Amino acid sequence: EEAAPVFQYAGRAAKRKHRVFVWGFCFAGALGLPSFVRPDAGWKKPRRVQTTPYRLETEEKISSAACGYGFTLLSSKTADITKVWGMGLNKDSQLGFQRSRRDRTKGYEYVLEPSPIPLPLEKPQQTRVLQVSCGRAHSLILTDSEGVFTMGNNSYGQCGREVVEDEMYSESHLIHQLKEFDSRVVQVVCGQDHSLFRTKRGTVYACGWGADGQTGLGHYHITSVPTKLHGDIAGVNIIQVSSYGDCCLAVSDEGDVFGWGNSEYLQLASVTETTQVNVPRHLPFKIGKIKEAACGGTGNVVLTEEGNVFVWGYGILGKGPNLIETAVPEMIPPSLFGWSDFNPDVRVAHVRCGLSHFAAITNRGELFVWGKNLRGCLGTGRMEDQYFPWRVTVPGEVVDVACGVDHMVGMVKSFI
Amino acid sequence: VRGPRFRRLKMGAGHRLDAKASGVFVLGIGHGNKLLTDLYHCHLTKVYTVGGLFGKATDDFSDTGKLVEKTTFDHITREKLERILAVIQGTNHKALLVHSNIDMKSQEAYELAVKGMIRPMEKSPPIITAIRCLQFTLPEFQLDIHCLHETQQYLRKIVHEIGLELKSSAVCTQVRRIRDGVFTLDDALLRTQWDLESIRNAIGNCKLKVQAEIEKTLG
Repeated sequence: EEAAPVFQYAGRAAKRKHRVFVWGFCFAGALGLPSFVRPDAGWKKPRRVQTTPYRLETEEKISSAACGYGFTLLSSKTADITKVWGMGLNKDSQLGFQRSRRDRTKGYEYVLEPSPIPLPLEKPQQTRVLQVSCGRAHSLILTDSEGVFTMGNNSYGQCGREVVEDEMYSESHLIHQLKEFDSRVVQVVCGQDHSLFRTKRGTVYACGWGADGQTGLGHYHITSVPTKLHGDIAGVNIIQVSSYGDCCLAVSDEGDVFGWGNSEYLQLASVTETTQVNVPRHLPFKIGKIKEAACGGTGNVVLTEEGNVFVWGYGILGKGPNLIETAVPEMIPPSLFGWSDFNPDVRVAHVRCGLSHFAAITNRGELFVWGKNLRGCLGTGRMEDQYFPWRVTVPGEVVDVACGVDHMVGMVKSFI
Repeated sequence: VRGPRFRRLKMGAGHRLDAKASGVFVLGIGHGNKLLTDLYHCHLTKVYTVGGLFGKATDDFSDTGKLVEKTTFDHITREKLERILAVIQGTNHKALLVHSNIDMKSQEAYELAVKGMIRPMEKSPPIITAIRCLQFTLPEFQLDIHCLHETQQYLRKIVHEIGLELKSSAVCTQVRRIRDGVFTLDDALLRTQWDLESIRNAIGNCKLKVQAEIEKTLG
């Protein structure tokens, strides 16, 4: 027994590996797994929905991911030439121009594998991509020194350039670059058909469709040039903006939350009875200092400094089937996120929102989801809706998650 | 009339305990056997102290088995072990909710989940309700495990699987049951105390506790 050989599987300085997991609806190609759509072996069958997290192999460590309506963007902070990969729907060139291999003059309408997106950078080996964001048919890419790149549908000016009548967005090579802001842009957010930009100084710019007031510029028309927002956020240092549907939320450094846009589902009913708000309004909630906010299609969620999660709006909010709508934020009990007498120091670290579902990540790296389970987007392994937070089993510690309409992408660190 | 006081006694045993394990073992005498079945239907959790050793893997997961493999373990830290334990607890918590046979879409399920009172009230696979690390000095470690419907061999298998997750291997050195439902180590009788007086006192002390628990759970 003493003479048996000793095996070493992991050394003392073994680094934790970064992995990407995807789950949800496969047929649009948004998961980046081509064998689910076009099986490459005889025994494989096409898989319509991937109900549990599935590993996606990537060449580089992915630092930011965003899920749009049927497509996904992944980006890495590398200094290589290829920094952004896209997969899924490309009918409006929201993934740039993907040249077809069969016919060099045409582009792909559906991209089934993570394919590199060529960006017209001036210094491709120095600029780093910080963040990506996806909307219904357009996408935004934020770099550290070359501004913001926009691609995709521009019929409402959401790409920040003039609307051209009868423009053909499919198979378009055009990637627009936006540089004129009062200071460096640090966060980009895509709503359904509008775009929001947050700068280092704490100001917010918007462009795109405004029929619900989601641009917050005081009118209900479209804007094709990013314009600064005023209203209740004038002079306030905004530290986070969020939007996914037609409602927008912004959090200031003092813990206040401001909202504008669609209010048909009681998202802003605490300040006004109108269904559209086109100027940012302060939401006077007495729930404590707010750290992070996330906006969904019909419901909103905020995270306070103490680690409590509050939800309001319409839909499956996470407090059982009886709570369908509320205008005032309701707290989700921390015991549903794993807090108990045995584990008193578990608290929620991040909240994210998809179109009709929510996600929360705890400080232990566990992912909880709840909401409407559209085509398996929750990742619980079942196809039923989830009325209270449910743990998703991911083989690793979840660092961040991106929620889309019918799929989700998780960035995970391995345990050892 | 002269003769021994008790000639025949009907005895029943509670939850099984291995030959290699130690700790609290509940027995029922005479009319107590009916209480034993009621206690079984209460499905209360049991608490074990499980000792483990990193560095080797054996075929029956304990340190007296045949050696299968030896591995290094100097990369393991307490933080990594606690991460793995948190995940085990999370997946077992999910199993708890799934096997409790309550419809997840009902308001009742939400309310019970908030209070943390969801529990399977019938036969189910072994579930760990809570697990944490008590001591950690390489290569040995000790875990405190609260579980339902388990066997001691299952706990030894969990120790082996923890070793595998940490990219090393582990064997179980000690399994000791500290609590079985309402009975704790303080109520248990030592080998030296197996005589009529102590047994009678012990039964008297536990009577109220058992009755209260059965009433609370089975109504």
